[in-house]
Amino acid sequence: MRARLPLVIVALASLGATFVLLPVVALFVRAPWSRLAGALSGVGASTALRLSIEVSLAATTISVAVGVPLAWVLARGEFPGRSLLRAAVVLPIVLPPVVGGVGLLVALGRSGVVGRWLHDALGIQLTFTTAGAVVATTFVSMPLVVLATEAGLRGLDLRYERAAAAMGGSPWYVFRRVTLPMVAPQLAAGAVLTWARALGEFGATITFAGNLAGRTQTMPLAVFEARQIDPGGAIVLSLILVVVSVSVLVALGGRLTGLR
Amino acid sequence: MRKTVAIATLLVAAGCSGTSSSGSAASSALTVFAASSLTAAFERIGSDFAAANPGITVTFNFGSSTDLASQIQSEGTADVFASASGTAMDAVASDPGVADRTDFATNRLVIVTPPDDPAGISSIADLAKPGVQLVLAAKGVPVGDYARRALTSAGLLSAAMQNVVSNEDDDASVVAKITTGEADAGIVYASDVATAGNTVRSVTIPTAVNVVASYPIAVVAGSPQTEAAMSFLNEVIGVTGQATLKDSGFGPAA
Repeated sequence: MRARLPLVIVALASLGATFVLLPVVALFVRAPWSRLAGALSGVGASTALRLSIEVSLAATTISVAVGVPLAWVLARGEFPGRSLLRAAVVLPIVLPPVVGGVGLLVALGRSGVVGRWLHDALGIQLTFTTAGAVVATTFVSMPLVVLATEAGLRGLDLRYERAAAAMGGSPWYVFRRVTLPMVAPQLAAGAVLTWARALGEFGATITFAGNLAGRTQTMPLAVFEARQIDPGGAIVLSLILVVVSVSVLVALGGRLTGLR
Repeated sequence: MRKTVAIATLLVAAGCSGTSSSGSAASSALTVFAASSLTAAFERIGSDFAAANPGITVTFNFGSSTDLASQIQSEGTADVFASASGTAMDAVASDPGVADRTDFATNRLVIVTPPDDPAGISSIADLAKPGVQLVLAAKGVPVGDYARRALTSAGLLSAAMQNVVSNEDDDASVVAKITTGEADAGIVYASDVATAGNTVRSVTIPTAVNVVASYPIAVVAGSPQTEAAMSFLNEVIGVTGQATLKDSGFGPAA
């Protein structure tokens, strides 16, 4: 009983797949294979890759820690301005990342609205630091886990939570032992998307945190800088990023991303 | 099903980032690729040129000279190329080729600091003081290479490199880090200071260690409108163009 796919759909799907795959294939075609090792060491790939992984994991952790409670408030809270809050939370997805970076700069920069106080009173400066790269990356990628988790929460059957509460479970206990396990697939899918977005983050990071190898220069920034000096090295760095991203996404597979 | 669509939307949204550049190609339009340090001057020259030549519209693509050179090599959409370095022009001259190449301006390096000068910078030597947050353009970007050369001539390179907190893509990005007050000092072109006005404070670099950048301009080989390209080039090297460049902080061609 397998339905035959209409030819039009297959043709359009092939076009879509080709479009997405073409740049990746072209990177492989144009990669300087003969001097791969030299290109790898020449552009500081391992430093940038390590920093990228650290920054993207830190950003994902923070996003889950505050994004899941935020999703819960958006899904279950009843208060005026809730739809406005949701729009604000989604905003970083829509904004050009460089705009996010400028916003962060005037908010948390050394002479920013809050940053001035952080700097003068506590001696904390986020710009030009790895922490700043994490802040910029979190800003851009957190909405993905919020949206996915909120969608999951809205789809839940409330009777389980009510039953648990009726049997004397405290709200915190119900959230931890009933709500969270039921929404786990959507949360995990959201976390994977957040991580993927964090790994590719460029605009907000270079605008807010700057670009310095070993401190704020993640893989996308390293690719951007390598273009100037060594276009072949830029291709090598791009390929590493492609291979790492695809490996993780495939390894996590349909199970975690909820795409069956 | 709805969930699948939502996640697909998220995936699409997640992929949206990065930068883009464009060059349009209407038949009577002239496309000029110019170093980003020329932005203010060339926009004025462009409007003077448009007033004098109503038949021609000029579209500018400003960026780092190195980027522009590789865009010209791969896309070939430029009629005129004005570069901040001889090296980038050399690349275009070898492929696809140029005609009527001539130097039309020079630019000196200066130090910029925020107006309140938080780190107390009064000379190039101060850039090597411990704790100064210094922003340069990246290696490979002409102004970044020139800045490193000036620091080398002053015998300050290794100490100053310890202070570098960010390697920016171009001079405009360096200026942005200074005007926002994030960094203590940067090295850019004199023309950047003319553009930035009183949002930055400038400190001169002595002639003995300064680097004077020569700006070449040329018609790109394969341009379908060589005549229009030539007349724009003449506007730049002519009296009005040179006056505009002088106002914008550039020196005369060496």
